[in-house]
Amino acid sequence: MSEVVVPRLAGADRAVSRPRADWLFRFGCLIVMLSLVLMVIGPWIAPYDVGRPTDFILEPPPALRDVPRLLWLSITNAPREPVYWFGTDSAGLDIFSRVIAAPRADVAIALGANLVSLTLGSLLGLAAGVARPWIGALIMRTSDLVQAFPVFITGMILVTLAGRSIGTIILTLALLYTPIYVRLTRSEVLTQRQRGFVDAARALGRREAWIALTHVLPNAMAPALIQFSVTIGFAILMTAGLSFVGAGVRPPTPEWGLMIAAGADQIVQGEWWPSLFPGLAISITVFGYAAFGNGLERRHAA
Amino acid sequence: MQPEAAPPALLSVRDLTVAYGGRTAVQAVNLDIAPGEIVGLTGDSGSGKSTLGLALLGLARPPGRILAGEVRLSGADLLTLSEPQRRSLRGREVGLIVQNPRASLSPLHMIGEQIGAVLKAHLPLDGAAADARAVDLLRNLGLNDPERRAKAYPHEISGGMAQRVLIAMALGAGPRLLVADEPTSGLDVTIQAQFLDELWKTARDVGSAVLLMTQDLGIIANYCDRVLVMQDGAIVADDVTKRFFAAPRDVYSRTLLSLERVAPPVAPGDAAIVLEARGLSKSFRLRDGRKVLQAVDHADFVIGRGETLGLVGESGSGKTTVGRCLLRLIEPDAGEVLFEGRDMGRATPAELRRLRKRIQIVFQDPLDALDPRWTIRDIINEALERPDAARVSELLGFVGLDPAVAKLKPRALSAGAQQRVSIARAIAAEPALIVLDEPTSALTPLARVEIVRLLRDLQARLGSSYLFISHDLSTVEHLSHNVAVMYLGQIVEIGTREQIFRSPRHPYAKALLAAHLAPDPSRRRVDRIEDAKLAGEIPSPIDLPRGCYLAGRCPEAVASCRTQLQPLRTLRDGRQIRCTPVAERDGAKTDPVAA
Amino acid sequence: MVRFITTRLATTIIQLAGLALVVFFAIRALPADPVARLVGLNASRDAYLSSQKSLGLDRPVLEQLGAYLGIIPGSSGLLQGDLGRSWVTGSPVAEEIARVLPITLELITVSFVIAFLISVPLGMLCGLRPGGVADRITFGYSLFAGSQPEFWWALLFIFVFFAQLGWAPPPLGRLNPMSSPPPFVTGFITMDSLLAGNMAAFKDGVHHLMLPVLTKVFVLSGPIVKMVRQNMVRALASDYVLYARGSGLWPARIAAIALKNALAPALTLLGVLYGYILGSAVLIETVFSLGGIGQYAVRSVLAFDYPAIQAVVLVIAAISLFVYLALDVAHALLDPRIVS
Repeated sequence: MSEVVVPRLAGADRAVSRPRADWLFRFGCLIVMLSLVLMVIGPWIAPYDVGRPTDFILEPPPALRDVPRLLWLSITNAPREPVYWFGTDSAGLDIFSRVIAAPRADVAIALGANLVSLTLGSLLGLAAGVARPWIGALIMRTSDLVQAFPVFITGMILVTLAGRSIGTIILTLALLYTPIYVRLTRSEVLTQRQRGFVDAARALGRREAWIALTHVLPNAMAPALIQFSVTIGFAILMTAGLSFVGAGVRPPTPEWGLMIAAGADQIVQGEWWPSLFPGLAISITVFGYAAFGNGLERRHAA
Repeated sequence: MQPEAAPPALLSVRDLTVAYGGRTAVQAVNLDIAPGEIVGLTGDSGSGKSTLGLALLGLARPPGRILAGEVRLSGADLLTLSEPQRRSLRGREVGLIVQNPRASLSPLHMIGEQIGAVLKAHLPLDGAAADARAVDLLRNLGLNDPERRAKAYPHEISGGMAQRVLIAMALGAGPRLLVADEPTSGLDVTIQAQFLDELWKTARDVGSAVLLMTQDLGIIANYCDRVLVMQDGAIVADDVTKRFFAAPRDVYSRTLLSLERVAPPVAPGDAAIVLEARGLSKSFRLRDGRKVLQAVDHADFVIGRGETLGLVGESGSGKTTVGRCLLRLIEPDAGEVLFEGRDMGRATPAELRRLRKRIQIVFQDPLDALDPRWTIRDIINEALERPDAARVSELLGFVGLDPAVAKLKPRALSAGAQQRVSIARAIAAEPALIVLDEPTSALTPLARVEIVRLLRDLQARLGSSYLFISHDLSTVEHLSHNVAVMYLGQIVEIGTREQIFRSPRHPYAKALLAAHLAPDPSRRRVDRIEDAKLAGEIPSPIDLPRGCYLAGRCPEAVASCRTQLQPLRTLRDGRQIRCTPVAERDGAKTDPVAA
Repeated sequence: MVRFITTRLATTIIQLAGLALVVFFAIRALPADPVARLVGLNASRDAYLSSQKSLGLDRPVLEQLGAYLGIIPGSSGLLQGDLGRSWVTGSPVAEEIARVLPITLELITVSFVIAFLISVPLGMLCGLRPGGVADRITFGYSLFAGSQPEFWWALLFIFVFFAQLGWAPPPLGRLNPMSSPPPFVTGFITMDSLLAGNMAAFKDGVHHLMLPVLTKVFVLSGPIVKMVRQNMVRALASDYVLYARGSGLWPARIAAIALKNALAPALTLLGVLYGYILGSAVLIETVFSLGGIGQYAVRSVLAFDYPAIQAVVLVIAAISLFVYLALDVAHALLDPRIVS
């Protein structure tokens, strides 16, 4: 073959920002993995019972200069006085244990809700893109309507009136996020089904449904999958926000938003730790998911 | 390597080097352009032409950078000047025209305003004077109603018009050098010819030199005094146009020109009919629901076994829709497609799926036609009854690819190789007919030559019939036995290749052939008296005129042309033509086909 | 253009009508018992039934809908612009919302404008030199700020600026309880105090707005910077900017071209963003006890106060949709391709 391989000119943006993207992307991968691991094993590896108060109320975390010594002691399993790495809250519960146990609520809800809405949304999006026009119009108008609702307030109403359980939160968030996936998948399906390989498959005598599922859908999933990571982050924010205003999971479930709310009164009095650590956990987790999604997007575009 | 009788150079480039990151796109290039000279620069895409063109203005598309060299314009080195000095030279001393003219205009600003901005940047004009001058420039370029055009936004004008706006901007301040980078890519053949005629005339009138970058050797042969060939960032040939075409000295140019010396395919004699289309019609309802776009209007043609029917026409002529209607990828509104004697239109879904495998299609954009997530092996297997690795290797060998590519994804291949995979997939189904929908248009000139060769070889070996759809008359001439010319959804003339290419009879076919720029400097368009010129632009296929669609532009139109639909009539030499005045002069039989 | 606006307006109104119906049925379909919540779980059966009757919940759902919409003769409902009476306070919901809504709008709008004024130059600066140090830092910040729990940052700011430094007032409302509030005109405390010439109240109001606005601006500027930067990078890498440079235009003219092209598409996204933060203002209001429409919504939801819930959703959705519509029209004015 004597053809000249045409080099693809990367856009200016992409070409120069690759190193930074990788650094952020690695951070995102790390956080995403950590959060998933804690979702599974968090409550089991927590050093203290997340529901039973200790004898110390509002015990501050150990001073920074003591941390290396205490770490060493705990790694070597040496006998020592009990350590509350993040202190204890006003009920005497160990904050560290609760922070690492909380992904069982926050991450599980966010992941569950997004899995439901991703599945539902991409199938509806595919249907909206390939089915008869009136079915497509019906799906799109319905998802327009859902998207017109103010997300947070609607979430608050549905969750509260349906009973504030983890299941209702998952379903509520799934309902609110489904239109995002419908929209993304549909617009990509509309692009993909115009492509030559779809007509080529038709020319080879393939059935429409087969083409939609093997050629169109797999090629149309990328935007939804990128969005998946970012939306999990938003779902964590929303789960925590709902319980922060008292419209989410019920106490005493270990959950970051509830913990921040419980510590809100102390912070005004200068006792910062009950709110600081769960908030830090949210901050890092959601940023991690955003960074992961951003990295995926760049990789996909490149 | 210097042009004969070199006058003092207007532009003189020495050791110019430009790189994107670590990749050198232009490598130590030297070139000179004399005042008033028109120089053609050709080479494959990716050879560095565009990068070189921008570097002549001291620009590089980010993240590219000019690393070394000098660009002397009337003696002063552009690259050592300060940025403000360079800015004042751009547009005033060197004008620029680029490909994709519409993307080169800000979508949110009116055209007149954009031309005016260039004038104000270089000439001592105030706002009102610049606007008036902009309108004058548009008028001089032959735009009707320039005042209204000046108030249009780029998305409201055609590509050809946008290209003229770029000429106005490039020549507005009277530069002595014009850098034109693929100025006609994306334009239709007749518009391209009009545009290049204007460019050539304007440049000769004001005496400015032109560096014309193009992949199309036809353009070079017709308009340029001298030819430069670029390959991998370096200039590999520099010759006077006539000598270049008579005896190219470098390998690349020789390969490009080799196809010109191959004899056209011989018709297989009285072939059995594989496919017959009768009264094929298709219109599309536009989004607002009321307007109707007539894409194909009563197309009739036959394709014989082992034969190629070339279907030519400009964009919007409906040729692609014809191809898709044959496979019912688009459902025709009316008419019949008889394939091997069976009516495709009456086939049940199951029969249709079986019939379709006997007609295959190869698309214009090779990457688009291959599922990016599948390997080449899977892609070809899809066309087979059951996965068969040996057959995949054999098919890849057929199309001149190494069987090892089977495990790759399409993206890892060059465009030419991707197109070969598409062809392999098409022949895997052992079709009787292959619809080739602009299969060479997205390829580099070199890959184009190779694909045309491959298609001819395959036809000789497999005996398949082709419907070859293209706007590129050269490739159609190299592949077709018969040729149909389409204009606004109608076949206006259909006959043998010799009939159409040697002596077209329909006024539109004549104009199309006249606008064809053959890569032969002894038959330059600019030297010919233009007899077949059409006026104006192609009307929109949405609101078609009554009567003959060409009547408004046709030099031979008579009164009845404007009111009567023209039937397709058979002339004495066997060709069919949709033009009553010409047919009557020929003494044609009464119309065999209802219009 | 007129056609574009009327079509968009009609769509918006249909959406609002659909929204009202969906809310009405959704809250009645969910397994919640507002009567029990109102009368208490220990109430007698008679008290329960009489309360149910007085709320109209004993009637068939379609009759309730008729009353809600105001299509039953003699009743007044949505069609008459009547949002009903709160089941908890008994006062008209419209009046209550008119009191709390300006509080939220003031916070949101001030934050929005400040965030916009900071983010646009910042995003443009980054877009000018993509990959530069300033761009990397700003990009990291925008990704970070766009994914933060604002209520937590509000608490941190309270800890630093109130508990530790003492610069900010306690997070207990819009004014110092000691200072005299200006008479209610617009409901915006800054504007009302200026109208009344009450400079003390104005200063106090601004002082109390400081931290909530700081928090909002902090999180809000993330997505705006990111968007402006992205659009700016795209505009500067475009063929028309390259061609403008090749034509030797003045740098200021090129900047103006790029800016217009970068900001026009940002308008639509700003509309989406405004609706989003309006709906989630409750978080910041809770932290600072501002008593805006967000907190009103929480109170109504927790009390199962159906008329108030229906009204809050409708009002917030209406404001969001109309802001979105307005910005979309502005976009269409800048970009003629939208209308055609």
